[in-house]
Amino acid sequence: MRFIDLWRMSSSNLWKRKMRTILTVLGVVIGTASIVVMISLGLGLNKSMMKEIEENGGLTTITVYPDYSSDSMTGEDSTEKRLSDELVEAIGEIEHVDIVSPVLNINVIGRYGSYENTYMNVNGMTLEALEKMDIELKEGALPQKDAGVLQFVYGNQIINDFYSSREMGEAPDIDLMKDTIFIVFDSDAYWNSKYDDGESGTPVKPPKKYLVETAGVVAGGPEVYGQHSWNIYCDIDELTKQLKKIFKNKAIPGQPTTTSGKPYKELYYNSIYVNVDSIDHVADVQKSIVELGYQAESNAEWVKSQQRQFGYIQAVLGGIGAVSMLVAAISIANTMMMSIYERTKEIGIMKVLGCDLKNIQALFLMEAGFIGLIGGMVGIVLSYSISVVINVVVKNIMQMQLSVIPVWLAGLAICFAVLVGMAAGFFPSLRAMKLSPLAAIRND
Amino acid sequence: MAEEKGKAVIQVKDLYKIYRVGDSKVRALNGVDFSIYKGEFCAIVGTSGSGKSTLLNMLAGLEKPTKGEIIIAGEHMETKNENQLVKFRREHIGFIFQSFNLLGTMNALENVALPLTFQGMDKETRLARADKVLNLVNLKKHKKHKPNQMSGGQQQRVGVARALVVNPEIIFADEPTGNLDSNTSEEVMNLMKRVVREQNQTLVMVTHDNHLASFADRIFHIKDGKIIKIEDTREKLKEQVNE
Repeated sequence: MRFIDLWRMSSSNLWKRKMRTILTVLGVVIGTASIVVMISLGLGLNKSMMKEIEENGGLTTITVYPDYSSDSMTGEDSTEKRLSDELVEAIGEIEHVDIVSPVLNINVIGRYGSYENTYMNVNGMTLEALEKMDIELKEGALPQKDAGVLQFVYGNQIINDFYSSREMGEAPDIDLMKDTIFIVFDSDAYWNSKYDDGESGTPVKPPKKYLVETAGVVAGGPEVYGQHSWNIYCDIDELTKQLKKIFKNKAIPGQPTTTSGKPYKELYYNSIYVNVDSIDHVADVQKSIVELGYQAESNAEWVKSQQRQFGYIQAVLGGIGAVSMLVAAISIANTMMMSIYERTKEIGIMKVLGCDLKNIQALFLMEAGFIGLIGGMVGIVLSYSISVVINVVVKNIMQMQLSVIPVWLAGLAICFAVLVGMAAGFFPSLRAMKLSPLAAIRND
Repeated sequence: MAEEKGKAVIQVKDLYKIYRVGDSKVRALNGVDFSIYKGEFCAIVGTSGSGKSTLLNMLAGLEKPTKGEIIIAGEHMETKNENQLVKFRREHIGFIFQSFNLLGTMNALENVALPLTFQGMDKETRLARADKVLNLVNLKKHKKHKPNQMSGGQQQRVGVARALVVNPEIIFADEPTGNLDSNTSEEVMNLMKRVVREQNQTLVMVTHDNHLASFADRIFHIKDGKIIKIEDTREKLKEQVNE
């Protein structure tokens, strides 16, 4: 028998029993849709996780901190475990390290008119590292080499932290790029002068405000969160120069002091930014740094554990979907069985007239496959609709696409549905093949 | 005498079919020998339970004999497996059923073309051939009708056309008029006789009706699994002419 004739016969058989076919197909539709939607949720979660990782500094970045755990244990030894220029150099010599930069972290207070921002977190880094971080800027540029003055790059959400006691509840109308922001570096002195009740005798003189140029602003509106949204970046050399000038003999806030309260000659850093040339070497480099006696954090381990976790979630979700597909498969097998009982005589006639046994089997396999195919295709359409609904509903809550159905998933799902249909139809088709042709001769 | 009539299309040698019913054995066929020649119209006549249907089923390869040989068109039927039997039927045998057994989803033309479909013939050729055969059985006006839109006689004529369409070496008919009234039966028998004659086909018919059997060239009387008498109506005819 020709393939086209098999095709015609099986499809016309299905068409003849419309209601039953529709009901069986419906089972496959639900089965396919539940699997696809479940997997799409897993994929959506995975995708948003990857995005989150990017927002948290990518996959090739290692951040080095002093090892606080050993600090408390050995006491005196802690001096050696501080993040010094020496260490920065040592890390720079580790194989596969692309860029290394000390990070000096200091909290400052910003003022503009009656507005005040007391949460400004300034990160001083080398210009090279700043460039490597690929900060997307809305306007301006990164601080230039040899600028000679301190320049800030503001995060896009910093503006939200400007408060004014006079204009409560009003969104601050500040253009960080053009307006002049005054920076108070000595926040202790600022608070002391502000809450000075005058009883302690000599009034505390408010600390000096400095005008810091704005080099650029990070891309994104005040509502969009990103890795750099709440930070201020600047050239570490300019920052240290400025700080040394301001604090002169006093200790710079955050810097360790000797037992007598005097600052050390050297500056110690809050953390060290390390960029590795490839994701494959992150673990090795991280290990070497830990061996030096410091704490090193990267996304690699977290990503691995996250991915494992999402793997489980996806398996569970897919499993839930697979149950309904199994039910659909049973219903296909049942439908085919019924159909064969009804058509015992017809099958007998075909055998008497010389229809090949393989053709008879193929006929029933194709019918079952058809049910799978139609069910799969309608199921995919349904899945896309459900996916859209889920995304619209979730959008307001989670700000992300929860359900993602890539084309490969749709194609795979249809193939799977056809395969399930044919598998479910296999034993019924064997039965049809083995039916006796004598059934056709019986006169009833 | 056999040589005069030409080649034997069917040769049956010492054929037995024994059914087990509980502990007892039922001899449905108990040693049958005969030959049927090309162009003959033979009838196998017997009462129900005589073994005539069993014989036909075995000739068509629908049942396996317990013992003995069946040679059709030079091939041994008893040694073939089911797949080979199906193939053999597809290429060499036409079958006419008592209850017509047309497929309800197809019209007359498609029903007639069905055996050609099984042969893998393309749609155009097989429909053209089916069309020709339907003309032969005088069903020009009903080609597009479904079985349930036709009378019993018309349906059986479609059945005859379906048996003829593959141009088989031999046609088997199992009580072909069993579901028809006597007038229509008469019509269908005459049609079969005419077509067989015109196409030089070999037809083996099973019936319990002696009158219908009288249409045949030769009549095999079967009783309790044995052929008890072979009548040749052509010799009678000759005798009548001679007298």
